[in-house]
Amino acid sequence: MSLIIDNISFSYGERTILGELSLEVPTGTTTAVVAPSGSGKSTLLRIIAGLLTPSSGSIILDGKNLSLVPTHLRSIGMVFQDNQLFPHLNVYDNVMFGLRMAKTEKTIAANRCRDLLDLVGLSQAAKQSVATLSGGESKRVALARALAPSPKLLLLDEPLTGLDSELHDRLAHDLQRILHATSTTALLVTHSIPEAEIISDSIHRLQITIDIVPDGEKK
Amino acid sequence: MVGHCFEMKIRNLRVFAVPAAILVFVTAVIPLIILATSVIDKADIFSIWTKSPVRRALFFSLWQALLSTAFTIFLGLIATWYLSRYQFFGRRTFFALVTVPFVLPTVAVGAAFIAVLPRALHHSTFAIVLAHIFFNISIVVRTVGPRWNSVDDQLIDSARMLGATPFQTWRYVIMPLGKNAIFSATALTFFMCFTSYGIITILGGPGLATLDIEIYRRAVQLGDLSGATVLAIAQMLLIAIAFLLWSRSRSTELISFRAQAVSHRRLSLAPKCFFLTLTAFFTVPVLALVAASLRTRDSWSLTGWRVFLGIQNQRGFDFNFWQAIQTSGKYALIASCIAVPTGIAATYALSNRISSHSRLSAFAILPLAISPVVIGLAILITYDVQPFDFRSSWLLIPVVHAAIALPFVMRSALPIVDGIPNDLRSVASTLGAGPWRRFLTVELPLLKPAISTGLAFSLAMSLGEFGATSFLTRRESRTIPIIIASLFGKAGDIPRTTGMAASLVLIVTTAMIVITIDRKSHT
Repeated sequence: MSLIIDNISFSYGERTILGELSLEVPTGTTTAVVAPSGSGKSTLLRIIAGLLTPSSGSIILDGKNLSLVPTHLRSIGMVFQDNQLFPHLNVYDNVMFGLRMAKTEKTIAANRCRDLLDLVGLSQAAKQSVATLSGGESKRVALARALAPSPKLLLLDEPLTGLDSELHDRLAHDLQRILHATSTTALLVTHSIPEAEIISDSIHRLQITIDIVPDGEKK
Repeated sequence: MVGHCFEMKIRNLRVFAVPAAILVFVTAVIPLIILATSVIDKADIFSIWTKSPVRRALFFSLWQALLSTAFTIFLGLIATWYLSRYQFFGRRTFFALVTVPFVLPTVAVGAAFIAVLPRALHHSTFAIVLAHIFFNISIVVRTVGPRWNSVDDQLIDSARMLGATPFQTWRYVIMPLGKNAIFSATALTFFMCFTSYGIITILGGPGLATLDIEIYRRAVQLGDLSGATVLAIAQMLLIAIAFLLWSRSRSTELISFRAQAVSHRRLSLAPKCFFLTLTAFFTVPVLALVAASLRTRDSWSLTGWRVFLGIQNQRGFDFNFWQAIQTSGKYALIASCIAVPTGIAATYALSNRISSHSRLSAFAILPLAISPVVIGLAILITYDVQPFDFRSSWLLIPVVHAAIALPFVMRSALPIVDGIPNDLRSVASTLGAGPWRRFLTVELPLLKPAISTGLAFSLAMSLGEFGATSFLTRRESRTIPIIIASLFGKAGDIPRTTGMAASLVLIVTTAMIVITIDRKSHT
């Protein structure tokens, strides 16, 4: 389930936010795009997700061009910077959301949900309201929720920003472990090289509106 | 020691709620108790329900309210969604267009629908439902709008990315997030339609009477006070139950949202058409009033306006419009002078830094939960006998208007009063301002928007009030809505065109007051 980003560019009015960007994420690996703020990282993710339409170029997932596929049919998960948990649902129902949308059979869905909560270490918190969670716990729920419908690709938008340093490092390692354990194809965008080094298998640096410079494979 | 001082301050502030409490007691609590205990003939409690006009009224109240509420909520939610989430040309104007009708005089709006609809539909459920939608869409926009406006775009994106179709996103995310507000709006709309009185007086007719109309008919035309009272109390209980559910849903609101900027997404063709249609719906009836005030059966004529302005005398018209305008203006000013300070002081005393909102709903919202017709009837019975013979006092009507406006003043003032940060008061104190200086220099300027909104509301409510006034009015002190209603009860072109002219003037005046005062406070 590899992702190919082919010559994507995006401009908003006169302003070019992304210029002719190409990138490949091999199946089952995590690729990081490291770039400073304002370089269009989030725009890139929104284009991949189908939340924005690129000015030119195409997104190919698993050999299929996604240009005309609406967001909800793309099977791409995303962990947002500020999690975006549904405030009206508890932890369990947040994780169940995607499975319900996909009309997954109830017992299968419940098992999958329980497994994921185990994986992120929150099985005790299933019935808790999301308003009572700490920053780290919310992040784990967001991750479990994104993984639940078994997306072909997982997008991580600055997933560890805003956490204190100890928690940050622990979650970075957890994230790496979980992505590995689930063999998820993932694309991480972040401004932190150390974070990218922990979580991802390979790193690309994105310069502002200029093409990507490959930084080589991580050992 | 410090704790002790704080306690004292709290106790002192509670005193501010006393005038409002007195107002509510005098105009609602005491009259309702007396109404419930004095005039009921026990036999009527059961026998009244066997009378066919009562059954018809109850049935009609229910089903027209259900129908009106369903349409209002449906159209209101669509309008609210686009108003709270999209930036488009004319958005602000449209917002005003949708929200102003709520405070317009009911009888005048009824007249506007007579003006715009073909004769065959003048007295029909269709006309009644249209008028109810016209009034109450504002409730949906005002209650649900802030909630939906505060939903983060990314939350909706999350749902889409988890595989939710646009419809599923609505069904499982957007609707549940607005659930309490939608429930609240539904309850209030249903209550408004169920107790509709001014609209029905103009647009109703045989078989198209609500319970309120039946109460008036029994009390005033048939002299059956006991029967009218049984109906009034039954209606009150029904509304109290609905209201209890409503206020419970409001207090269980746990999720707090940040306000979001409206996104810059463009409207597609379908919502554009929807807004064009709705704009027409809100403007055409008022424009039709202009034409109707100039149109007799077969020609154009200024007679209606000449009679309205007192230039031409009309046989059979026993009222003077200038006097009515003076009366209406005087009542509105007095009612506002009572409702605004009383309401804001009470809000101030009961705002969340001191006590819970539940007290607010218990006291100030009581008149809102009781239809003005019932209030009118209760006051008529209570203050007509010694030792409370206030019936002859001209102050009675403006005081009742103030009580009816009070909950609206308090509801609009509450968020503003709550929004004054406590630290600001502390800063003023540390800079040496005593309680009074602090109030005058810091809090009063911050309360200005609350005062203007309260003023706009109370002036508009008093100018248009018809339910309670119809019971309490006297020959020499009739307000414009009362005269409009009596004109539409007469046959012929001249009463009709005169009524249209009066309605137009009343609608335009009220709208101008609300728009200028309310707009000013937000700039």
